[in-house]
Amino acid sequence: MIKYILPALFAGIVVGYVNNNYGNVFANVWISDYAFIASLILLLFVMGLAFGIDKESITKLRQTGPRILIIPFSTALGSICAGAIGGLILGISPIASATVSAGYGWYTLAGPMVWQIFGAELGALGFAANFFREILTIIATPLMRKADKYAPIASGGATAMDTTLPVIVRYCGSDLLVASFASGFVLTVVAPFTIIAIASLR
Amino acid sequence: MLNFSAAELIIPLVAGIVLGYLLRGTKHVGFSRVTLAAILVLIFSLGFGIGSNNELLGSLAKVGLNALVIASLAIVFSVVFVEAVRKLVRLS
Repeated sequence: MIKYILPALFAGIVVGYVNNNYGNVFANVWISDYAFIASLILLLFVMGLAFGIDKESITKLRQTGPRILIIPFSTALGSICAGAIGGLILGISPIASATVSAGYGWYTLAGPMVWQIFGAELGALGFAANFFREILTIIATPLMRKADKYAPIASGGATAMDTTLPVIVRYCGSDLLVASFASGFVLTVVAPFTIIAIASLR
Repeated sequence: MLNFSAAELIIPLVAGIVLGYLLRGTKHVGFSRVTLAAILVLIFSLGFGIGSNNELLGSLAKVGLNALVIASLAIVFSVVFVEAVRKLVRLS
């Protein structure tokens, strides 16, 4: 699977770059918004269908119950600690870099928010670090799955409800669909609040 | 992630689960081709969104290495924290 995913990603990057900078043959939103959302909605529907048909998946979810919430909250805590430590290693303000990593992979949120609070340079870091989190999750999911089935969900952060969800389900199984979506959803909801809360510590 | 409400994504997911639940016991249909095609469209459009975003590309060139370090640390710490807490509450 990964042998199709990486070429698709790079082809998308190249086509997007060429189209945007040399001629604009078609509007960017056709692909980056419409095709993206259409394929995501189709995937969510089809993955939901596979989950609903599978008898074991719902039993497994019942066994787990609300304990599943420990995944997003541990992910949030881990990300924030990692940001602070990363800041100390790289010589960046630990509060600023913890704010960056509190985007949990949601770069279109973290980029502009960090930009507004800490200025252009750290805003760029907020953009890039969260973008890498998404891409690294897509690339490393097959590997991480071997270590633990919940590892890709933790790695994906907020993206575990959309961009990385199909890859996670494909490799870790249908029964993780709801866990992954729920974790990504919780992190998506808390991301703006944790970004503001950590930034206010400076 | 795009600027549409995250809550809206629940609708197709729940619709699929409910329909799947109702279709239980009927003959299973293979989705793997459809999902693979849709995943490739999704990943291609994700790449397209990156390639056509000069702001993002500029920030990658400027702070790429630091960003890679922070992203990797965030992934490792998240995985380790989830592992540790999972063992604590005995989530299988």
